[in-house]
Amino acid sequence: MGIKVVERHGNTFKEKIYLHAVFSGMKTTLKHFTANLRDASNLPTLCYPEQKPTDITPRYRGVHRLTHRKEDDSIACVACFMCATACPANCIEIVAADREDGRDEKMPQVFNIDLLECVFCGYCVEACPCDAIRMDSGIYSVIGECREDFIYNKAKLLSIQGISKEEFSLAK
Amino acid sequence: MNTVLILLPLVLTLLYSLATVPVLVWMERRIAALIQDRLGPNRCHINGIRLGGIIQSIADMMKLVFKEEFLPSHIKNRFYYLVAPSLAFMSAFLTFMVIPYADTLTINEQSYSMQALPTDLGVLWFLAFAGLGVYGIILGGWASHNKYAILGAIRASAQVIGYEVAMGLSLVSILITYGTISLNEMVSYQTQSFFIFPAWGLFIQPLASIIFIVTAFAETNRAPFDAAEGESEIVAGYHTEYGAMKFGLYFVAEYIAMAASGALIVTIFLGGYQLPYLNTSELINNFELILWGIIAFAIVTSLLFLRWMKQHNIFAMSGLDETKIYTTVVIGFTIFAILVMSYYALGFGDANEVGVMLLQFAVFTIKLFFLHFVFIWVRWTLPRFRYDQTQKLGWNILLPLSLANIFITAIVVVGVNYGN
Repeated sequence: MGIKVVERHGNTFKEKIYLHAVFSGMKTTLKHFTANLRDASNLPTLCYPEQKPTDITPRYRGVHRLTHRKEDDSIACVACFMCATACPANCIEIVAADREDGRDEKMPQVFNIDLLECVFCGYCVEACPCDAIRMDSGIYSVIGECREDFIYNKAKLLSIQGISKEEFSLAK
Repeated sequence: MNTVLILLPLVLTLLYSLATVPVLVWMERRIAALIQDRLGPNRCHINGIRLGGIIQSIADMMKLVFKEEFLPSHIKNRFYYLVAPSLAFMSAFLTFMVIPYADTLTINEQSYSMQALPTDLGVLWFLAFAGLGVYGIILGGWASHNKYAILGAIRASAQVIGYEVAMGLSLVSILITYGTISLNEMVSYQTQSFFIFPAWGLFIQPLASIIFIVTAFAETNRAPFDAAEGESEIVAGYHTEYGAMKFGLYFVAEYIAMAASGALIVTIFLGGYQLPYLNTSELINNFELILWGIIAFAIVTSLLFLRWMKQHNIFAMSGLDETKIYTTVVIGFTIFAILVMSYYALGFGDANEVGVMLLQFAVFTIKLFFLHFVFIWVRWTLPRFRYDQTQKLGWNILLPLSLANIFITAIVVVGVNYGN
């Protein structure tokens, strides 16, 4: 074990009268002030409604979407209720139904996500065995005029496009 | 004319204290933003006119005025609770009354003082009311019946007691140097030159001016000495229980107190309303030359401003075309001012006394706003002092230093006078 000797500051006369440090700090802030006053175009501030953020990646947890199967573009969800069980906010409502086309046994008849309840934790995405629900839509602002507008149903969730490279469900 | 000239300093006091508060709040926000690499308020507008963001502080004031006047039910001393913010506000406002905005104007052998309160005891008035301002804080903290409020009030009072002593003593050495307590005479003393520098208090008494400026920061409870409202420790300090315009009065009082101590610093240490090296009679005699200088200055600054605005006002708003309006106003005003000034500069009219008075107002305003900038600049540079460090700085460092400064000043002044 080596002993690291930390240099103590604040005991010299120059440091004790504060003024040197005060003025050097003021010099730094003045540099920022004058540089920004001269040319404000370098500021990292985003004027939000006009300028949109450019750093939303596929890993950003935006609004959910339901994926499609690659073979026939039908819904990938098998109504296993894993996401609804994992959901801590209890915002997913699923009603299962028999699947008639022979692709699988079950599919959701109703699949509602209440975005006002949702905490965007991503547990549903983790839980899904079929890669049927994803949050890679990149949508960060959800707007509605009444509470019902925030309950996204199956058709709506299926219609949302993702921003990641994989468009379809990756489940085998 | 007579009435106008007598009322003028009163109107100016209102302008410098009350009307500058929205501008100061705006400056605070914009300068803070630019120092921290942000933009600051730029959205609030009236039909597309944003005035660079000043509309935001007007909107804030409107909000504070029209908010519900909430009175917490646990407060027993309602009268003191309600009177405390107005006391802080009033004393901050009254501090301003003795600041001379221009030299005494003499027209037709009648002289008009450009102080709202024409007294020679200006410094004493300032000290009295700057001290009284803290009384509003103490009363508010006590009447709030809240431990955070009372802690903030105790901090404020202890701090002011500690720093008022150093402030008064640093003023004493200044008074010895100038040999007067009249603020007007101090300003005229500073028109001399000291070696090659103008004989400003800042150059003659550097130590006293540093002590005075530091104590002025502490006296107005501005950062880095704002432990009285240290939100990281005691919520909001003395104004924890205040809302709506009662809080607004405290808020405005802080800015007016800042403006008042800035004005006194300008008057005592930065040559007041006078240009360096030039006294009033020299200004009056060479007024034409000065006017030409101002005309050149006005052209250059308005051109620079227009270029800067064209670069930066790129954010399109609905409503009127802002850039066009500002350009028209700036060009129109500059041309109007140049026409008026050249009328006098070419010798068609004779209003040198009034012109010099206006020039001195302008010089005072520029210096005052520079001081405001410094106050804001320091606030957004320095972190808050820890409370025991504040006390230690006040009692252990500033007080002995100001005492020593008095002795040195006295010896030097006696020596110089003895030599004469």
